[in-house]
This record gives sequence, C-alpha cells and structure tokens, in this order.
Amino acid sequence: MTEDQEKFALHLINNPPPGSELAKAKEYGVDLTLFISTLRRSPTERARSLSEGARIFQIAKQTHLSEK
Amino acid sequence: MKLQETIRILYDAGVEFVVIGGVAMGLQGSAHLTKDIDFCYARTTKNMERLAKALEPFHPVLRGAPPGLPFRFDAKTIANGLNFTLSTDLGDLDFLGEVSGLGLFQDVLGTSDVKDVGGVDCRVLSLEGLIKSKAAAGRPRDLYVLPELRGLNEIKKKTGLE
Repeated sequence: MTEDQEKFALHLINNPPPGSELAKAKEYGVDLTLFISTLRRSPTERARSLSEGARIFQIAKQTHLSEK
Repeated sequence: MKLQETIRILYDAGVEFVVIGGVAMGLQGSAHLTKDIDFCYARTTKNMERLAKALEPFHPVLRGAPPGLPFRFDAKTIANGLNFTLSTDLGDLDFLGEVSGLGLFQDVLGTSDVKDVGGVDCRVLSLEGLIKSKAAAGRPRDLYVLPELRGLNEIKKKTGLE
C-alpha cells in the first residue's frame, strides 16, 4: 500500500460515504480501522498472522477445556 | 495450522487448488481468524492422485470420525466423494470439490486471484467470489462476515489495492 493509498483508505474509513458498503459495515459493528493494518501487510505476512491466530485459538481452547 | 507449509506441499506436488473460506478472507485482508484451511480442488484423475499422494505422509483422517474407523484418503476415495473434512499432521484441512454459489473447480478458479504466499504463486478466492459464496451458503456464520467483506472489497476497489 502506497502512502497515497493509505491516506485515501484512512479518509474513507474515517468518513465512510453515506449508503456505502463501508458505512453499512461500520453500522453493523465492523472495526474498519483493522483494514489499515491488514492491508499494510503482504499476503505472506497475512498468512503468518493467520497461523499465529490459529495457534492462539488452539491454546485458548485447550486452556478452556483443561479448566472444565 | 501450518498454512505456508501446506500451500508449499500442495504446490510442489502439482496439485491444482484454490484457497477458499476463512484463510482466503485473511489473505485478502480480512481480520477474520480461522483454525482450518479450506481448498477447492480439481477433480481430474491426475489431480486426485496428486492430492492423495501429497497428503499421505501427513496421516489424513476424517475429522470427528470415531477412532479406528477404516479410512484411506486415496484417489479412489476422493473420486467416490466430493467434500472432505480432514485432520492431518498439518492441521485441519477441508477439500471441497464444489463451492456454494460458484460451482466446480473451474468456476472457482475463474474468480480467484494469484497471491505470493511465502514465495508460492497461490490461487486465492477473490473478494467477489467470497461474497458470492458466503451469500449463497447462507448460514449465520457466512452471513455474519458479509458486511466486512463488502466493506473491504469497496475500500480495495476505491484505493486500487490488490
């Protein structure tokens, strides 16, 4: 993502045009600011985040099960 | 979940696949997390043979099946089925022959993008494809992610992001 793209993305996130999909997502409860951090990453970095997220999910699940 | 390793193994084995589902969402820029990897695979004889051979070292079994249930993930089994939810040494892997709202492999391939994942040019279902398939699947967990996917699609289009 270039500096200009990021600037424009931030503008859209902070001021979603009325009736837009972004406005609907915000209204639904989606944290649009997360898009900036995910879009900054390359697909490989996103893949690493997905694996890490799954690992943390697994730890949380095991902890929950062992506490039962 | 060993995402990059799994993609590399399938790619090196020459398996024709498209990453779909939650991982495709994540690779396209969604903040959604998932614990399994979903693929759509081509149902040609050669591809089913390659898929079976690629996964054999990772001990695929049917996820949730009773322990000891006889199961062999070979080309014949794949040909006789369509969608497989597997537990493997690489993590939980789902292989779908058909995707809701999109169709068979060639249709899914037609609505995919190429992403460089760890040095592998990998086919990933596009945001348009994800939106179409999630809307068609229609389960609460599919509909739940639609506003995020539609918002993400809009921001990528307006900013010219890949």
